[in-house]
Amino acid sequence: MDFELGEDQRAILEAVEALLAQRAGPARAIELARKHDYDFALERALAEAGFAELALGPETGPLDAALVVEAVARAGGVAAIGAQALVAPAVAGRVLPSPIALVESGRAGPVRFAAHAETALVLDGELARVVPLVPGSVAPVPSSFGYPMGRFAPGALVGGEALEPGSGERLRSWWRVALAVELAGAMGAALAVTVDYAKKRRQFGRAIGSFQAVQHRLAECKVLVEGARWLALEAAWRGAPPEAAAGAAACAAAAAQRVFADTHQLSGAMGYTHDHDLHVFSMRLPALRLELGGAGAHGRALAERRWVASA
Amino acid sequence: MEFGWSDEDLAFRAELRAFLDEQLPPDWPEISKAGPGGDAQVAFARRFCPALAERGWLTQHWPREYGGRDAAPWRHAILGEELWARGEPRGPQYMNVNWIGPAIMRYGSEAQKRQHLPRISRGDVFWCQGFSEPEAGSDLVALRTLARRDGDHYAVDGSKIWTSYANHADFCFLLVRTDPDSKRHRGISVLLVPMELPGIEVREVPSVVGERYFHEVFFTDVRVPVECRLGPEGEGWEVVGYALQYERVGAARYARAALTLDELAARARARGLLDDATVLEKLGAARAACEAARLLSYRVIDQRAHGLPPSADTNVARVAGTWAERVVSDLALELFGPEALEYGSFADAQFRMAMTAGVAVGTTEINLNLVASRVLELPRE
Repeated sequence: MDFELGEDQRAILEAVEALLAQRAGPARAIELARKHDYDFALERALAEAGFAELALGPETGPLDAALVVEAVARAGGVAAIGAQALVAPAVAGRVLPSPIALVESGRAGPVRFAAHAETALVLDGELARVVPLVPGSVAPVPSSFGYPMGRFAPGALVGGEALEPGSGERLRSWWRVALAVELAGAMGAALAVTVDYAKKRRQFGRAIGSFQAVQHRLAECKVLVEGARWLALEAAWRGAPPEAAAGAAACAAAAAQRVFADTHQLSGAMGYTHDHDLHVFSMRLPALRLELGGAGAHGRALAERRWVASA
Repeated sequence: MEFGWSDEDLAFRAELRAFLDEQLPPDWPEISKAGPGGDAQVAFARRFCPALAERGWLTQHWPREYGGRDAAPWRHAILGEELWARGEPRGPQYMNVNWIGPAIMRYGSEAQKRQHLPRISRGDVFWCQGFSEPEAGSDLVALRTLARRDGDHYAVDGSKIWTSYANHADFCFLLVRTDPDSKRHRGISVLLVPMELPGIEVREVPSVVGERYFHEVFFTDVRVPVECRLGPEGEGWEVVGYALQYERVGAARYARAALTLDELAARARARGLLDDATVLEKLGAARAACEAARLLSYRVIDQRAHGLPPSADTNVARVAGTWAERVVSDLALELFGPEALEYGSFADAQFRMAMTAGVAVGTTEINLNLVASRVLELPRE
């Protein structure tokens, strides 16, 4: 048990943060969002520096990959690094052509990153399928929720390579871990922006962050974000056992609802504008919170694993 | 960063569980309903703590010179988790080993260390904590209990309230004002007071939490030898700050909540309630809250293991623990509504135990204040 970063982890994190400082950040995210675009340059840079392959490395593993995914989320990076660096390696055992969209078979509605994806990793009951995408299989969908999205054409997700039995469970669990890690990163950034705003914004002759009513809401958000973050990292380190993965996702998804509401409330009208960075992180929270059935489904999955399956 | 247990730690936990299975009597669930201060639980602790001490487990995280084994803080955390999960068979003695002993180690004179630490590590002494007063709760520095210097003694007058375990305690870790003209943090001292001294009166404060749960302790011209003072005169606030950081995560309340939740789920299953998706959802959310509290507490232990000074992450952990306990006890009520209304029922016992979580050891509001100022660095006025 050790909550401090090891030397190698610190080096990885410093390197990825340096890269993100150059190539990601809210301004870049806002620019890409105007065109519902994907950050191919960022994805390439991350891959070239080896960050996409950490989960399969001889000296590194899923926790290192999770730390990178969190860092990208904190920087508002518009790249499907969770699927690429954390989920695909664990489910397929190899690096898949990216961008990768994660999608539940039979679920309607827009899918994160689908419009730009090369590969769909499809959750199909007990199985996971790797489906190479051909042009014309996805229609771009505009969305307010912080990611470029797309809708799969009917039949676009049939076929492909079915992975072995049990791969569905693995995909579901790693997807949950990736979701929790991305939520932790986005919530952490949304909260940091809001805390910063509360320190600077003055009303009634004082910083609004000096009011106890404001302080307690932010402090509660901090408790929620920290809990979600450590559960997500622990679940990654443990290799995404279904119960731990569902617990991390349940915690993060529930926290996201509160963090979204409170960060916006405390940022006032400024929080809605493109001039302020909050929306880059906050608007992603509802999208992430609803994936895979949301907090309710994660909670049920945890409970089924813990108390029903064992009966 | 890694989240695994060493083989030695896993072996210790397994050995400890076997030991508990063997030691705890068949009527333990009934005994432990009253909480650590219950009469039967204290009586059991008188046998159980020495047995733990004999195995070298009671104070294993202490230095050898004080009766410990120099074990890593993780060992003590495992002990706390397993014992709280079972309803704390150490009774009030968990306080001794968590923070009273460490405070004496850090601030005590040689004579105080010789007097108190061996007894604590042998498991044959009970302490209570004399902090809150009728007019000094969350605003603890408003305390008024006065200790006037009179030659080689202090004459103590005043009263303390909400004092758990005062009815069983041999000593009180007592916070007093030694300088009558002082204000706020200055002029406060800590006295280690034998409870048998003349002039001390303990009265129960009847409450809905349980019988003999809270007490008021009255001090009337109690003559306490000066050598009972812990640390320099007037520097007591620093001692308390140190002690509280240990106390806030000292009780692994999340572990108890998690075990209660397992019990709750088993009872729900027996009634076919686990077919209900809403019930599953709530059970899952409650488990996730317990798990979050567990990891946030581990983070504090990890900082201690790394030799880092106490931080406000302790307050983060405490808030999460309070939430976890509440979620579980609310669910107990919800699932077993009608019979929860009977005193002593499973859900009733959980509910009464959990209702103190947001107030005991510093209110949630104080914890949130500290998170706001020290972690988020939000400005004061």
